[in-house]
Amino acid sequence: MKRYGEHRFPGKLLVVEGIDGSGKSTQLNLLHQWLRAEGYGTVFSEWNSSPLVRDTTRRGKKKKMLTPASFCLIHATDFADRMEHNIIPLLKAGAVVLCDRYIYTAFARDVARGMDPGWVRELYAFAVKPTLAFYFRVPLEVAMKRLLNGRSGFKFYEAGMDMELSADPVESFELFQGKILEEYDKMIPEFDLTVVDATLPIEEQQTRMRQLVKSKLAQAKRLRVAP
Amino acid sequence: MRSTYGVVLPEMKLDNLPGKLIVIEGTDGVGRSTQIQLLRPWLEQQGRAVVDTGMTRSKLAGKGIKQAKQGHTLGRVTLNLFYATDFADRLENEIVPALRAGFVVLTDRYTYSLIARAVIRGIDPAWVRNIYRFALIPDAVFYLKIGVDDLIPRVVFSTGFDYWESGMDLYPSEDMYESFRKYQSALLGEFGNLVEEYQFKVIDATQDIPVVFEDLREGISDVLAESEPPSLETVAAQGRREAAPAENSPPADNNGSGN
Repeated sequence: MKRYGEHRFPGKLLVVEGIDGSGKSTQLNLLHQWLRAEGYGTVFSEWNSSPLVRDTTRRGKKKKMLTPASFCLIHATDFADRMEHNIIPLLKAGAVVLCDRYIYTAFARDVARGMDPGWVRELYAFAVKPTLAFYFRVPLEVAMKRLLNGRSGFKFYEAGMDMELSADPVESFELFQGKILEEYDKMIPEFDLTVVDATLPIEEQQTRMRQLVKSKLAQAKRLRVAP
Repeated sequence: MRSTYGVVLPEMKLDNLPGKLIVIEGTDGVGRSTQIQLLRPWLEQQGRAVVDTGMTRSKLAGKGIKQAKQGHTLGRVTLNLFYATDFADRLENEIVPALRAGFVVLTDRYTYSLIARAVIRGIDPAWVRNIYRFALIPDAVFYLKIGVDDLIPRVVFSTGFDYWESGMDLYPSEDMYESFRKYQSALLGEFGNLVEEYQFKVIDATQDIPVVFEDLREGISDVLAESEPPSLETVAAQGRREAAPAENSPPADNNGSGN
């Protein structure tokens, strides 16, 4: 088993991370459009998790059966399935693989729920190191403002209601996200995350992303000549 | 105060767990469940409340694992983590509450079978051991030891060769007998590596069922008489003590700590 480290596959793995409301998915979509226009074989890792793992996760959430430990382990199981059946084969095939969230999301959530930081990192040692991992840093107030405009509510585990931080889902969500932000900050130097200031205009963030991605795509496969 | 193998799960309180955690380990077909069926009434006759548990019996993940094994679709890392999820769910929702209530928990396999199976499938041994560092150290692990030549006739005349127990995922062959022999030999070798590390109490499982039962009763009676649960330090120290004499037996005799 290969441990977390630089992979030797011909493909590239690009990851976006950040709290909800950081704008990371918007940025990844824009990057996707650009890469396709440039002629790269680009695939969103669709989180095509096996139905068996997915059903277990869903049932555990619906019935509120999950503890911090089983929440952590069932998500690691799900991620392992994506890794073994989706991401690694795509990287072997030379694709540019785009992931909205990666192991850093698990580290942030699980440690915020009280799991041992070293243990969780070792648990995910089978994951491939991304070519680039962008962290969209945003103050909590800004993210909350963006989210409250567009959403009707938060789900139980999403809001960290299992931690009993507050009986009010919005307040619980905010407290939980605050803990997650602290964990992200610790991971920036540890995993060499590329920080993007997510309060900047969307185009400015995208320009910076494209420059960095371009510098890493030297040997990636192009499917056709760019238009 | 109980101990784990190094990592404590959130909200898991290790004090006030007066029950006894007794593990029966051993390979497929060695007679673990037969012995557990005998042990349970024996313990209950002595007034001990018993809970028995075993792999893939969790409410959360048991069904998913069983279905996954039907289709043989999961990768090796994935299947290992699925088992770890099942184990965590049983530890938190079954084993710990029973120990808190003073039950004798008899478990058909524990983390050791999962480690042995993973390692022979090429999973990094340090990685899989790390996963199970949150497991409680049992009061005793009874390892039903058998060689592959004694195992084969038992399996043939009871359940027959099973896909997974023959390691068909690992040694695909048209001949299940060949696969079974190779796979079980590797597995028994790996169990052998764990005996000292995890302080297994070895029971000769080639003996007749009543004799194995007698050995287990004797071992369990000793465990029930003990007052302090094992800690990582005592397990490690015992491992060192038992490992030491082979290398430097003359000095070991002098310190008077021997048998």
